[in-house]
Amino acid sequence: MNVLVWLAAILFILMIVIGGKKGARSFISLFLNFGVILLIILFMADPNANPIILTIIGCTIISCINLFFINEVNSKTKTAFLSTAITIVILLIFINLVTKITMIQGFGEEEIDELTIFSLYIGVDFVKIAASVIIMSTIGAITDVAISITSPMLEIFIQHPTISRKDLFKSGISIGKDILGSNTNTLFFAFFGGYMALLLWFKDLSYTIGEIVNSKIFGSEMITIFSAGIGIALIVPIASWINAYYLVRSREKNIK
Amino acid sequence: MNVVINRFKKMVLKRFFLYSTIAICFVTSMLFVQFNYSFYDRPIAKIIEINLIDSVKIVDMHNNRDQLFTQQIIAEIKNGQEKGQQIHISNKYSTSGAYDHAFHVGHELFVSIDKKKKDSGDLTGSIKDVKRDKYILMIMWVFIFVLLLIGKKQGFFSIISLAVNALLLSFALDVYVNNSTISLLWICGITIILFTVTSLLLVNGFNEKAYAAIVATLIGTFISLLIAYLVIWFTAGNGLRYEEMSFLTRPYEIVFMAGLFVGSLGAVMDVAITMSSSIFGLYEKDNNISTKALTKSGLEIGKDIMGTMTNILFFAYISGSIPVIILYIKNHTSLSFALSMNLSLELARALAGGIGIVLAIPIGLYTSIYFVNRKRHKL
Repeated sequence: MNVLVWLAAILFILMIVIGGKKGARSFISLFLNFGVILLIILFMADPNANPIILTIIGCTIISCINLFFINEVNSKTKTAFLSTAITIVILLIFINLVTKITMIQGFGEEEIDELTIFSLYIGVDFVKIAASVIIMSTIGAITDVAISITSPMLEIFIQHPTISRKDLFKSGISIGKDILGSNTNTLFFAFFGGYMALLLWFKDLSYTIGEIVNSKIFGSEMITIFSAGIGIALIVPIASWINAYYLVRSREKNIK
Repeated sequence: MNVVINRFKKMVLKRFFLYSTIAICFVTSMLFVQFNYSFYDRPIAKIIEINLIDSVKIVDMHNNRDQLFTQQIIAEIKNGQEKGQQIHISNKYSTSGAYDHAFHVGHELFVSIDKKKKDSGDLTGSIKDVKRDKYILMIMWVFIFVLLLIGKKQGFFSIISLAVNALLLSFALDVYVNNSTISLLWICGITIILFTVTSLLLVNGFNEKAYAAIVATLIGTFISLLIAYLVIWFTAGNGLRYEEMSFLTRPYEIVFMAGLFVGSLGAVMDVAITMSSSIFGLYEKDNNISTKALTKSGLEIGKDIMGTMTNILFFAYISGSIPVIILYIKNHTSLSFALSMNLSLELARALAGGIGIVLAIPIGLYTSIYFVNRKRHKL
């Protein structure tokens, strides 16, 4: 039998044993997200479609799955969703600019040898696709940070119902700071692991530092790592502010 | 009163010192990459003039429409023997830009210079690569500033831990490349212990919380690796298309396993530290809390993070393959072939990482409880 089927089956069993119903939902969410990525790829293959707009739509659906399907529709997930959307748009503007000036789109000379049988002139905009790849790599982490901030903030709000908006915002930031380190770490290692083969290739062919730094693959990898870090950091104040604003306003409404 | 003022002054001084160090690093590094031409062996040319001389609409054998442009570039050589001379280069690019670039005045390129000169005495040559170092550095600084601004001390520590881990990995690979007799898995095993210890101690300090997380991380990663290894061995790697890594001159199964090892480590660490800090948090709030209550709330927390954590890894791995899958599809390969060729390794990584994450929940829970109980007995 296939390795992937085995691994998926083991993951499914473990998730159900440890997570029960929520574990099953988490497993299904992986499948749904895979479906969304496939659809995005198929739509992006159409030269008339704008990959950036497709990415925004895709990210919206993915954060719906990650927030509303795995958890439930409530004030925590709603504010997390809103802050994810805002962060994605800000990050997308930044990354779109970055991919344009650094010219890291498409394929590097290390990859091109295996692709010589293909026609490269396929009419789709690889610069925009590169931007959307970077965003898609971090969307999982961004929704994770968002929900990890809004949900303890609600706990604090319930325990101290008279807390001011400013204090609530501050507590959100301090929660965010704590998870900032571990979340950036998660992504760093994921990318390091994914690019182990490439790093070995650089070492084997004894690339100089100058060649590595300027090469397209390494550049795009570094930009992905940095953008992921920026995204994770940016959502901390955004989610804290939106959640503080929302919670305090709902309290004021209740008093009236 | 004076003491307070002095302490305040000291703090301001310290902060001022820190800020100015960062500012100096920023300015000098930015200046350095602007003018580092002489540090490169390869000739660098800066574009001073561009003429678009041709544009053709093309249709390839799969009916994909694209447009090809030819530009004539005049650039000035910035280093080496030909410094200051002008070079003529022609560049072809397409609107899709999969393996070509549209250049503009001001771009800097690595070029190779032809031996034969033109009749007019000007140099000719071809483009090798784009000089990207200053942009990469700029983005790195944006990253550092955003992390410092929002994360303050924690942001600083995560930057340090990233740098230390990157150096460690580079060093470990150097050891592997230079000593072919040592197995990569052994090197990775030792590096992983170092990674875990440095990252967790750096962020959390020396305390039981961190020790519990370290133990849980190591057990979790090794068990998930064992599972992945057994599955691959049992199925003889059926379904994994190593062709993606075919450029390697090394046994790619081992390289793949090592990458899998390192890749899931961060996520497992994250789960382990979340579990141990919440268990210790519960214990500190109520010293008499029963083991049963700890287990129950620990499992609840674990259930909450399981889904989003597996999704983090999933997206981090899968997204990178989007461009190449699009290329396959547009070249009329079947979807299933495009996916199995380009996603099998990524999916295996994501799934194995997911197994590590899920396993880290009970392992993290029980090691933390063990450490809590040990602390209780000591009191």
